[in-house]
Amino acid sequence: MPKVTYIEHDGRRFEVDLPEGWSLMQGALLNGVTGIEGECGGSCGCATCHLYVDEAFVDRLPEIAEAEDEMLDCTVAQREANSRLGCQIKMTPDLDGLVVRLPEEQS
Amino acid sequence: MFRFDPYSPANDADPFDAYKTLRDEYPAFWCEEAGMWVYSRYDDIIAALNDWQTYSSAKGNLVDELPNRAGATLGTTDPPRHDRLRALIQKAMTKRALDVIVEPTRGMCKKHLDALDGRKSFDFVAEYSSKVTVDLLFDLFAMPESGRQTVRDNAVLMVQTDPVTRQKGPEHIGAYEWMAKYANELIAERKKAPGEDLLSNFITAEIDGESLADREIQMTVTTLIMAGVESLSGFLSMMAYNLAEQHDARRALVADPSLIPDAIEESLRFNTSAQRFRRCLTRDVENHGQIMKEGDFIMLVYGSGNRDERRFANPDVFDIARKPRGHLGFGGGVHACLGGALARVATKIAFEEFLGRYPEFERVGETTKWVPSSNFRSPMKLDLAAA
Repeated sequence: MPKVTYIEHDGRRFEVDLPEGWSLMQGALLNGVTGIEGECGGSCGCATCHLYVDEAFVDRLPEIAEAEDEMLDCTVAQREANSRLGCQIKMTPDLDGLVVRLPEEQS
Repeated sequence: MFRFDPYSPANDADPFDAYKTLRDEYPAFWCEEAGMWVYSRYDDIIAALNDWQTYSSAKGNLVDELPNRAGATLGTTDPPRHDRLRALIQKAMTKRALDVIVEPTRGMCKKHLDALDGRKSFDFVAEYSSKVTVDLLFDLFAMPESGRQTVRDNAVLMVQTDPVTRQKGPEHIGAYEWMAKYANELIAERKKAPGEDLLSNFITAEIDGESLADREIQMTVTTLIMAGVESLSGFLSMMAYNLAEQHDARRALVADPSLIPDAIEESLRFNTSAQRFRRCLTRDVENHGQIMKEGDFIMLVYGSGNRDERRFANPDVFDIARKPRGHLGFGGGVHACLGGALARVATKIAFEEFLGRYPEFERVGETTKWVPSSNFRSPMKLDLAAA
């Protein structure tokens, strides 16, 4: 199963095995990672699963769709070039080893 | 021989033993009564919600779909059309956008509590949850003053199913047709004189320079009214039902109202009103040793996934300290409830006000009359007695 590492704003690291097809938002909620809220349930409707993707992986991710782009403008923490919404990134074997950092605040 | 009958009044009253049998012994179960497969484990439901390409909503999402609705609403279309339609409404339904409803909602709650005039017993559904919900939805959609009760009565009727014939009866279809006609009249008015409200924005919207199809507008508006009016009051009533049973939890909320949001999440997990929705397979799928064919329907039992001990420890215990992240109370994935943020805000305010007036209450009578529905679970009537 592909692995993803979440690094909380306070530095805590969570290494999680995430089934293919599950989103980074779901992986965080189900494994005790607290820096993701995921309030809308994964419909790209709340910007509370904002995360920063490790530079090495940015180009391997699917492109940012219009709805995600608009929601990324609504994040509480600063939007950066590597900002994504965790609900819009689904795990694939190609993303094995992915590292993401979480902002201080989501809402 | 185990049977699972989502139409029986016994299931409306308490589906949880049957859910446990489904999860433990028949995780991919063929339900003859509904003529579809049933997924009851958390992980299977999440996997289906994530994979809309395989588990399509385009053939309808209600266990018993209403005629002529599938393919024309948010809940019954797949991406990419779904995402474009949803984007037209989504922005008005975020937590921040809903700040504007906080004070009006509080005023509505106070008004209906004032009307109870300190009475010690009342029907929570008829006298509080449905009244607050209807006021809020009419305000949000800028709908005309008249006919509030009729809209509410039809919204509640159209989500029901007949426990004997195991389908929608003529009265349910009639209520749906009434609502569709009501929606059409509203749409005609808004087209002539659009306002700033959520419905006007949707009705006049364009996607890639093209207006939405008439049926799309009519069915979406019909569904938004139904979903708003029925589901919000249904959930408020379930929350009151839980708090009437769970005295320690209720007293904790009275002592510290900042815990109400945690209680709402646990209530969504423990007793969501959105119990069961369906999807349709776009290809053959094998799961838990069963081969399911393209075109077969699958019932996703959110109410069971929320009680799955594989995901939530001691799932049958109502624990407001649990913080049940990832629960299925609003479904999940691309079709996660559009009104989730609205429901959370409204429920928080409704209970801040209610518990302020009625810190101690319990249910009157042994039995509760439940809404007969293959999808939803909420009390028709909830008689409470205050201490």
